Amino acid sequence: MELLGLVNYALFMAIFIGIYALLALGLNIQWGFAGLFNAGIAGFFAVGAYTSAILSSPAVEGRIGGFELHFVIGWIGAMLAAALVAWPIGKICLRFRSDYLAIASIGIAEIIRLVIKSEPALTNAARGISRIPRPAGDLGYMESQIAYLIIVLAVLIAAYVLVERQFNAPWGRMMRAIRDNENAANAMGKDVEFRRLEAFIFGSALMGLSGALFAHFNRSITPEAIDPMVATFLVWIMLILGGSGNNRGAILGAAVVWIIWSVSEIATDRLPHEYAVQAKYIRLFLIGLMLQLVLRFRPEGLLPEPLRGDQRQTKSGADH
Amino acid sequence: MDFLDLINFYVVPGIVLGSIYAFGAVGITLIFAILRYAHLAHGDLATLGAFIALAVVTSLGFSPLIALPIAIIATAAVAVGIDKVFYNHLRERPKIVTVMASLGIALMVRAVVQVVWGVDTQTYSRGIVRPEDYFGIRIRDRELYTIFAMVILVGGLQLFLTRSKWGKAMRAMSDNPNLALLSGIDNKKVVMLTWIIAGGLCAASGFFLGYNTELKSMMGWHMLLPMFAAAILGGVGRVEGAVLGGLIVGVAEELSVLVLPSEYKAAMAFAILLFMLLVRPTGLLKGKVL
Amino acid sequence: MKTKLFALAAGLMTATALASVPAKADVKIGLLGGVSGPIAAMAPAMIDAAQLAVQQVNEQGGIGAGENLVGVVGDSACNPQGGTDAATKAVNIEGVVGVVGPHCSGAVLAAAGSVTIPAGITLITPSGTSPEISNLEDKGTVFRTVPSDDYQGRALARTMKDQGYGKVAVAYLNNDYGTGLANAFKAEYVDELGGEITQFAAHEEGKASYRSNLAELAKGGADTLVIFDYGDGTGLTILRQALENGFFEKFVGGDGMKSDAVINELGAENLSGFVASSPVGAKSESLTLFNDAFKGVGGDPDAIFANTSYDAAFLLALAVEKAGGKKEDVAAAMMEVSNGDGEPIRPGEWKKAKELIAAGTAIDYKGAAGEHNFDAKGDVPGTYALFEVGSDGFEVITEMK
Repeated sequence: MELLGLVNYALFMAIFIGIYALLALGLNIQWGFAGLFNAGIAGFFAVGAYTSAILSSPAVEGRIGGFELHFVIGWIGAMLAAALVAWPIGKICLRFRSDYLAIASIGIAEIIRLVIKSEPALTNAARGISRIPRPAGDLGYMESQIAYLIIVLAVLIAAYVLVERQFNAPWGRMMRAIRDNENAANAMGKDVEFRRLEAFIFGSALMGLSGALFAHFNRSITPEAIDPMVATFLVWIMLILGGSGNNRGAILGAAVVWIIWSVSEIATDRLPHEYAVQAKYIRLFLIGLMLQLVLRFRPEGLLPEPLRGDQRQTKSGADH
Repeated sequence: MDFLDLINFYVVPGIVLGSIYAFGAVGITLIFAILRYAHLAHGDLATLGAFIALAVVTSLGFSPLIALPIAIIATAAVAVGIDKVFYNHLRERPKIVTVMASLGIALMVRAVVQVVWGVDTQTYSRGIVRPEDYFGIRIRDRELYTIFAMVILVGGLQLFLTRSKWGKAMRAMSDNPNLALLSGIDNKKVVMLTWIIAGGLCAASGFFLGYNTELKSMMGWHMLLPMFAAAILGGVGRVEGAVLGGLIVGVAEELSVLVLPSEYKAAMAFAILLFMLLVRPTGLLKGKVL
Repeated sequence: MKTKLFALAAGLMTATALASVPAKADVKIGLLGGVSGPIAAMAPAMIDAAQLAVQQVNEQGGIGAGENLVGVVGDSACNPQGGTDAATKAVNIEGVVGVVGPHCSGAVLAAAGSVTIPAGITLITPSGTSPEISNLEDKGTVFRTVPSDDYQGRALARTMKDQGYGKVAVAYLNNDYGTGLANAFKAEYVDELGGEITQFAAHEEGKASYRSNLAELAKGGADTLVIFDYGDGTGLTILRQALENGFFEKFVGGDGMKSDAVINELGAENLSGFVASSPVGAKSESLTLFNDAFKGVGGDPDAIFANTSYDAAFLLALAVEKAGGKKEDVAAAMMEVSNGDGEPIRPGEWKKAKELIAAGTAIDYKGAAGEHNFDAKGDVPGTYALFEVGSDGFEVITEMK
């Protein structure tokens, strides 16, 4: 093993962490700050990924797209499309309280996944879209990874600063007020429904952007990428483990979970050769066990929500 | 299409499938109502139950139907154990923490199944079983057993919940935990009972899925979402609602092929669910609003 | 914040780095497969078959100057996230000279696009059938030992026409494998040969009942059901429910259906109307060699994609030997070891191949799953035969053209 390889692996992990951190940030807006239980992350991730893919990939017979637009336009398109899909869903579903919203959103995400898997004219069905251009993809292996990492980090930092500013602004206080005591906020004259919808759409747009970053990095997007396990539940684990309600916690959670996810395979590869296949099952067991341990000893997350007044107490009581 | 075809090829399979969903949905609805979280390891626990029954069949040579009670007891014990070791410590925390923990348990249980039993597709007995003809209705004996078992187990559970002391305690915990605790109900016992029931029903669900088709290490995970849809559809906390929900989801999935392209079969459960949540958020039978 | 993360990551990696200093200079190849995830039932046999090739190389003199060839198993989980992660670890941490796999097309596309093509590592997949893989801008580094599903679908259609099949219904799994085969089959059977497909329907995997699907499929009055699915997955459930309920008389499957699980679970006596296609080597001599060797290590040679996996690993080893272990030359060498010209090499004949390569003689690998003469896109034309279920398992009925 060489140093260069390690650097390349670290770069790859950092890019993936950045992409997942965006998802976790989006979810943090919805759950951590507005208390919306969105279990359909994969749906918005998919809409973003496919929108950008359609906008920026070369033309293929029998499928819409082939606009070959600049990737920036693709990414903006991804955010807009995810927001557009989120709007009616939010409009209809946000009236459900937490667990019902979870079930409704997971259902919608599954329906989106089935449509993507089954409509050749829209998404090339099960085969997915490939030949998506990767920004700075013509450089050498490491240079291109560094360039992409810089882009991902720039997007992530921009999103982080934006979100953080919003949360410390009156808007953030209002959102927390709505989350912690809807009736009181309502009585104060806040438009609860509208504010919730705002948070839902904003978070979903970030998820869409993350999907676009993912598709361009891999130069392809296929329906397997939007499996609920890797695109929804994994993000939830990241947020809860990192600390919901805390943006830095969301990013840290993404990093820790992805590192556990990825490095655990290197660890289980130390098992004897005959167990090479079994080692992969044991790896999943270890990931599950790790999760138990962190939840057991840091149930409020690695970086808990900063105390603002005495809200902490109310929060743990009010979570459904 | 004549009426008998409709019954034989759409309704009967739907009811069988629905019965299998119902076993799981009843457990989910009880956990939802009494412990107040979504238990995501339910599908994989069902897989475990099915494979425990397989172990009994292959190692002791029992017939599958005798293996079932053993699997139910074993899986119930596993469920209680998981609760004691993992979930119990998180009781006072926000419920979302337990939901995440159950996701981790799902991975762990599946890994155990894959390491112990491997990943090959297996069956309780080789060969195929052709259906019998009852006045034009064609049904296999194992499908009848599935439906009977569902009726008996769920009927028994319903009797237990309404007649026995502990059943009443469970319902009280579900309706108003604070009041129940004040009136001296032993929380620990109620939690344990819930897990015994949910775990046992999980095993039944997995067993009958395997009995009617095959055993695969991912079989339970694939059933998880329809089972949740069934539980919510029926109304949270309502055992008979979960059964009704399971049957509706099962039959609707099978009937959907008549009107939708078959690749959208899996979407049917969710379409019904979304519609239900819009028009009647408490579920078919008036359940809890969480 | 970020520096802390990197410190943490670097720390973890240094720890693993220290733990993994190899005892002697091994030559590593990556064996990436969907060990967890939807094809978990198929992956172990495929990986074992690839490991058989590795074992044979080591038993017959090793690679290069007698170095040990090591197959590093990675879990691609059948999705792009897992595929890229496994590929980047194989390439960067293990330092592999080439990669066999991943198994699923989506993982292949992503792993190739973000890891192996930029890194200039050769990738050869035994089971990624999607035509999208042909169109990758891969600088000649992406290969496969399984024909694009277009080829098999069309060949199956022609063979069925020759065998006198009439009206058929088609049920296919809604993923890249099933969709690809079904569409190719339909294009040939209906548009080219004038056959009739009464029903053409996709299904999702993992459902407990497909009887309503079958009832719909049976509506056009076809007596034959063509199934493009996996014989140890949903395909088995569909076949079982069709047999039990008396839908259709004859069943035809693609290579995914030629699985021992079908015979083991349903019983050969019930499968008299069932035939399936599968790739075979020229005159099947290569296939026999592989079958015996794989049985010798306790494997099941009828497992889906086992022979293509073996071929992929063996070809990669040949190419590495030919390239003298230089990563950047492996892709070019791959084209040379199997292009139809040269001394034929059959499965397991590593020693012979090694001597010929050392002597500078051209070699041509004739694999268990076909001759594998790569075209410019790194694809292979297939050699297929149609199989029926006999008393000793699957038996060849006819070659498919």
